[in-house]
Amino acid sequence: MFFHIVLERNMQLHPRHFGRNLREHIISKLMKDVEGTCSGRHGFVVAITSVENIGKGLIRDGTGFVTFPVKYQCVVFRPFKGEILEAVVSMVNKMGFFAEAGPVQIFVSNHLIPDDMEFQSGDMPNYTTSDGSVKIQKDSEVRLKIIGTRVDATEIDKNISQSRPKWDPAGSHPSRFFCIGTIKDDFLGVINDPTTI
Amino acid sequence: MSLATDSPVNSSSSDDLAAFLDAELDSNSLGSSPEKEAEDKDEDEESIDEEAENEEARDDKDLERIKRRKTQIVETIQERPGPTLLGNLEEKTDMLYCAEVSLEMDNCPHPGSLGGMCYRCGKRLEEESGVTFSYICKGLRLGNDEIDRLRNTDMKHLLRHRKLYLILDLDHTLLNSTLLLHLTPEEDYLKSQADSLQDVSKGSLFMLAFMNMMTKLRPFVHTFLKEASEMFEMYIYTMGDRPYALEMAKLLDPSREYFNARVISRDDGTQRHQKGLDVVLGQESAVLILDDTENAWTKHRDNLILMERYHFFASSCRQFGYHCQSLSQLRSDESELEGALASVLKVLKRIHNIFFDELANDLAGRDVRQVLKMVRGEVLKGCKLVFSHVFPTKFPADTHYLWKMAEQLGATCSIELDPSVTHVVSTDARTEKSRWAAKEAKFLVDPRWIETANFLWQRQPEENFPVQQTKPEENFHAKQMKDQ
Repeated sequence: MFFHIVLERNMQLHPRHFGRNLREHIISKLMKDVEGTCSGRHGFVVAITSVENIGKGLIRDGTGFVTFPVKYQCVVFRPFKGEILEAVVSMVNKMGFFAEAGPVQIFVSNHLIPDDMEFQSGDMPNYTTSDGSVKIQKDSEVRLKIIGTRVDATEIDKNISQSRPKWDPAGSHPSRFFCIGTIKDDFLGVINDPTTI
Repeated sequence: MSLATDSPVNSSSSDDLAAFLDAELDSNSLGSSPEKEAEDKDEDEESIDEEAENEEARDDKDLERIKRRKTQIVETIQERPGPTLLGNLEEKTDMLYCAEVSLEMDNCPHPGSLGGMCYRCGKRLEEESGVTFSYICKGLRLGNDEIDRLRNTDMKHLLRHRKLYLILDLDHTLLNSTLLLHLTPEEDYLKSQADSLQDVSKGSLFMLAFMNMMTKLRPFVHTFLKEASEMFEMYIYTMGDRPYALEMAKLLDPSREYFNARVISRDDGTQRHQKGLDVVLGQESAVLILDDTENAWTKHRDNLILMERYHFFASSCRQFGYHCQSLSQLRSDESELEGALASVLKVLKRIHNIFFDELANDLAGRDVRQVLKMVRGEVLKGCKLVFSHVFPTKFPADTHYLWKMAEQLGATCSIELDPSVTHVVSTDARTEKSRWAAKEAKFLVDPRWIETANFLWQRQPEENFPVQQTKPEENFHAKQMKDQ
C-alpha cells in the first residue's frame, strides 16, 4: 500500500557545500540517500515529493561538518498482511513461484496455488491447469494476497542505500521486504498471460 | 546559520508528483486542519507499525477512532493541502483478514519455511527446523513430511515422462580444473588455445581469468549431457564451493536447459566431506550417481556408477600421486567415442531401457539400484577367476576390493585351481598359478583387466592386459610373498 507521509532526517553536510547552493545540495543529497531505501517501519521510500523544512544547522566540533534536521514529504510503499497485490512472476520452480511487485518479493508456495494447477518442468517451468487454459510462468502477471511479511529491520541510517541487504532470496533484487503470498482464493491468480499477447 | 523556511521547497522531479498527489487528495476531500493533522499523523504511524497480532486488543479503540475521523472528514473544511494518509483502510483490512485466517493458521503443520516464515500460513516460525535446501532458493527449509510429499509427486511426474534422476559430479567426472598458478611451463601453450567464453557451447578448454582457473571439459561431455537429459532429470553435485559450481554449470549448460537450479555444492550438503541424497528431491530408488570418488557416497554405494578419473592437467595428476605425463603435457586427450563418458552413456541407456521396458512389475515398485546391479553383473558373467600374487600375505582374499569388484561384475572368484577356472589374474608371470594358466591355455591377465572392465562396463580383450615378467631383482621380494 502507498502512503504519503512526512519524515525527518538529520543530514550531515561537508563544509565545501556551504554557499549559494546549500539548499540544493541538501536536497540532492537527501534524494540520493533516501529514495529507494527501505525501513521496517515505513516501507520503501519511493520518491521525495517536497521538502517541508530545513532546520538550524549544528556545527560538529572538530570536523566542520554541519548537521541539518530536514523534514520532507515522501511516498512510501509497504506491504501488509491481507493486502491484495498485483505482481510479476520472476521465477517458477517445483516449490512454487516468486513474484515481484516493485521492490517487494513474494513467494507463493505450491500449497497456495490452486490444486488443479500442476507443475510442468522444462526450459520454461510453469504451473498449468489440466485443460491448459491457465498458465503461470515467468513474466506472467498475477493477483495475489499477502499472508506473511518479513523485513530486515534496518532503519534508514547513514549510507544504508549503499549497503547490500543481508537476506535476498533470489539474489537479484536489493529488497528488504519479503512476503509469502497465496493465489488460492476467489479472484486471485493470473491476470495476464505473456504468451497470449 | 539558519535555513528555516515555511514554504515547501520545490525540488526538481518530485515536484510534479507532489502536485498531482495533492490534487488527488483534494478531490477526495480527505484533508485535515493543522491540529488534526498532528493527530492523523499519529494514527498513520501507529497503523504502519502495528502488527495484526495486537489487533484484537486494540479493536475498540480503533473503531472509535475511525468513527471519529469519519465525522471529522465530513466537517473539516480544507484549509491547506498537506501530506495525508492514502490508505486509511489498512487497519480494517488487517482486522478482517486476521479473523478469517486465524482458523487456518491454527492447524497448519508448517511443512516448510522460506526466510523464517511458514510458506503455507505465512506465520513467523520461532525455531528453525527441517533440512535446508538453499540451492533451490536461499532460506528455504523443508520438513521431512514435505520432502516425502515432494519426492512422491515428483516421482510420479518423472515416471510419466519416462525419466529417472542422474546426479553428476564435476571434477574428474565431467571436467578437470586447475589453478593458473599450478600450470607447468609445458602447459603454457594451453593459454593461447583457450576457447572463447562468448559461446561456450562449442569449446572445451576455458580460461576463467576472474577465478584464476583453467577448465577442460571431458571429451564427449556435450553429447553426453544432451542424450542423458532425455532420459534423466540431472543434478550437479560437487564438493567444490557454490560460486565454482555455478560457474562450471554455466560452461556445461549455458542455456540452463539441463540443470536449471539443480546445482548442489558442498555448502548445501548436510555432512562434511560426504555427499548425500537427503538434499536431493528424488526418491533413492530412481537415482543414479556418476562420481569418481566412491568414499563420498558411503550411504549410497548401490546408486553409484564409479567413473574413471579424468586427469587433463598436470596438477591434477600430481594431486593424486601420479608421476606420469598428463594429457595436457602429452598434448593429447581422452578418446571422444571410446572414452569413459561414451561408455557410461551406453550403460545409462541400457539401464533406462531395462527399467522402463523390460521389467514386468509395477512401475512405482521398480528400483533402479536392482537394475544397476543386474547390468553390472553381466560384465564378467561366466568368468571364473583365480588370483595370484595380487593380495598381500595373510590378507583375507574375499574382502579385497578386487575380489569384491570381480564378484559385482558377475565373475566367480576362487582360491583353488580347477578345470572350470577361466582366468588367472596375476601380477607375476612366474608364479605357480600363472605357469599353470599358460600350460592349460587359460587367460592370464593383469589386475587392471578387472578395473578397466569396471570402468568401461565391458569385458576387455584379454590380450591387451598381459602380465609383466618380473625383473630378477624383484624376485627376492616376490618369494617372500605367499602365492595365493
